[in-house]
Parts: sequence; structure tokens; C-alpha cells
Amino acid sequence: MAFRPSLRRHMRMENTDLNLTPVMNLMVVMIPMLLSGSQFIKLGIIELNLPPAAGASVAGKQTTALPKEEQRSLDLTISITARGFYLSSALTVLHGKDATAPSGAQAGTAGPTIPAKTDGEYDFAELSKKLLEVKQKAQGIFPDADAIVLQAEKDIKYQTLVDTMDAARMIEIDGKVVELFPRVALSAGVM
Amino acid sequence: MAFVPSKIKKHKSEMEVSLNLTSMMDMFTIILVFLIKNYSTEGALITPSDYLHLPFSQIQKAPEKGLDVVVSKQVLMVNNEPVAPMADVVTNNPAIVEQGVIKPLREKLLYYSSQSKKMEVDYGIKFSGKVTIQGDKDLPYSELVKVIRTCGLADYPNLRLVVYRKTD
Repeated sequence: MAFRPSLRRHMRMENTDLNLTPVMNLMVVMIPMLLSGSQFIKLGIIELNLPPAAGASVAGKQTTALPKEEQRSLDLTISITARGFYLSSALTVLHGKDATAPSGAQAGTAGPTIPAKTDGEYDFAELSKKLLEVKQKAQGIFPDADAIVLQAEKDIKYQTLVDTMDAARMIEIDGKVVELFPRVALSAGVM
Repeated sequence: MAFVPSKIKKHKSEMEVSLNLTSMMDMFTIILVFLIKNYSTEGALITPSDYLHLPFSQIQKAPEKGLDVVVSKQVLMVNNEPVAPMADVVTNNPAIVEQGVIKPLREKLLYYSSQSKKMEVDYGIKFSGKVTIQGDKDLPYSELVKVIRTCGLADYPNLRLVVYRKTD
């Protein structure tokens, strides 16, 4: 039997391809892992520092912790009510434009500094503007020109409180962020 | 002239059919890069539920670790352990609330603060007095004040209110 030539003669050059299977395996494992571990909602925190052991039952301690009577402080306070915001300081209560007390009404029943909008929403933009005015006047005069106290009626929602803190923290004017009153404290008293 | 069969095709051998995975690889690479980009190594701090919708805020401060106090619509929790039902807190049930202080919460917080102070003595891990409060956005102010007052009385004066960051 004669010699039979090798069949390899007809063998073509194979199209060499990269073996992608291990890379694919890696992707298939990593994508679900990262998807389950990633946070799509970003969390933030608002700092709110109380003096240690402050509260109703140790009110005596609290008053002794506040010395420097001679130093004039601003004590700016925002009161959130269902009708709107009341702004007050140690010296005075700011009144809104249409806040003149109706004839026969008592002084304490004057309208809020910044009334709520007609649809019941709060006017946070107006509050920021008003606070900017206060800030510009108080800057350099009072030592606590970056502090503000919030108090609210008992039915005021947490979201409203956080929005008020946002409005009191800073204001954006022409794309620039101006800091207002970043040191926020909550008043323990519920109106 | 008669039809001449193609000379090229005559010699063409049977080729192995294979899936072209290149475009799929491209897609996966893009997804992978995107996911790695917003992957956080800190892990989720909270588990959202129907009873806990945090408020939104424009603050950009990143969250930090602290003792977890959760004030949902249903229950008050410390470190994921239920402490008191919110219904009793809202109605000022005298067994739970005394002078605006939530008693079970105070006991729990005092327990944790004593543990942390022991750790400070034994191992030198400083007790920060930090507590992160996760409150539902519809929580009334009166209830929030009760929680805050209790935290203040129980050696946790550094409060951190957890909010969703608005991204705009």
C-alpha cells in the first residue's frame, strides 16, 4: 500500500479568537454583586448639638451653663406655625407687610412675619430672603450671628422642619451660595 | 452563456458558527464601570420601609456612624431593636412617657452609653455621644422633641438627623 499523504494538507488556518468565557463569567458575577451593593439614594445628615444633659428636669443646670450676661446676643428664633413663620430676636419680633394687628385684636395675635402661601405651602424662598436681610444687619454686631433657634407648633411635620433648616442654612443668589445661619438649635418648648 | 457556479464559494469550507460576543462585552464593561463608580464601601445605613420615609434636605454632609435611633410611624427602635410602640408615645401613655421623656428609650440609651463608656475605659475607644435619628418625614414636631429630649438626657447630646440628599 502506497504512502498516503497526510490529511493536514487540507487543514486551513483556524480563525484564532480570544476566549472570552472567563471574562464573561467575571462580569456575570460582578454586575449582580455591585448592583446589590450600590446606593442609588444618597444619605446626608444634619448636625444638631444639644448642650449635654439639657432638658426639662435639669433646667437649673442649663441656666448656670449660660454665663456672659453682659454680652448682647441676637437669639434669632424662627417659629413655625400653621399660618406661617414668625421671626423674632432677643430685641424684637419682625412683622410681615400685612401683619398689622387687626383692630381690636391683641398684640400677640399679629400675623406671621412670612405668611404661608394661599395653598397652605410654606414660603421658604421668602424666609431665606428675610434671613439674609437679618444676617447682613447682624453680621459683626452679635457674636451669635450664625446661630438660630427653631421652634414649632406640635403638629408641624418633620419634613417642614428640615426644609426650614435648609432655608435657614443658606441662600443661593445668582448661583452663589451665601451662608446664613448654619448653627441650628431646636427649642424644647412646643407651642 | 450558461450559468457558471461561483468559483469562490465552491472552495469555501464549512465554517464553525460562533456567537459574536464583542458588543455584549462592550455593554458589560460600561455597566461595570458605572457600578464601580457609584459603589459605596460604607454599606447601607438604613433599610427603607413603608413606615419610614426620611425627609429630603439640600445638605451635602455625608452620613457618619452613630447609635441608630429609628422613629418610624409604628415603632421606636434603637439599633434595630424595638423599644416602644409609637402609639403609646403619641398618646403620652404614662407607663411610657413621663414629663416628655420616653422612659424605655432613656433606659436603652443609658445602657448603650454605659457600655460605650466602659469601652472607653477598657479599650480607649472614645465615647462620642453621637446618635443618628432616622425620623419619618410626617413625624409631628411634638414627638420629635420627645425623642430629642430623651437623647439629650441619656448622654447622647450630639444628634444627627438622617435625611435623603436632594440631587439637583
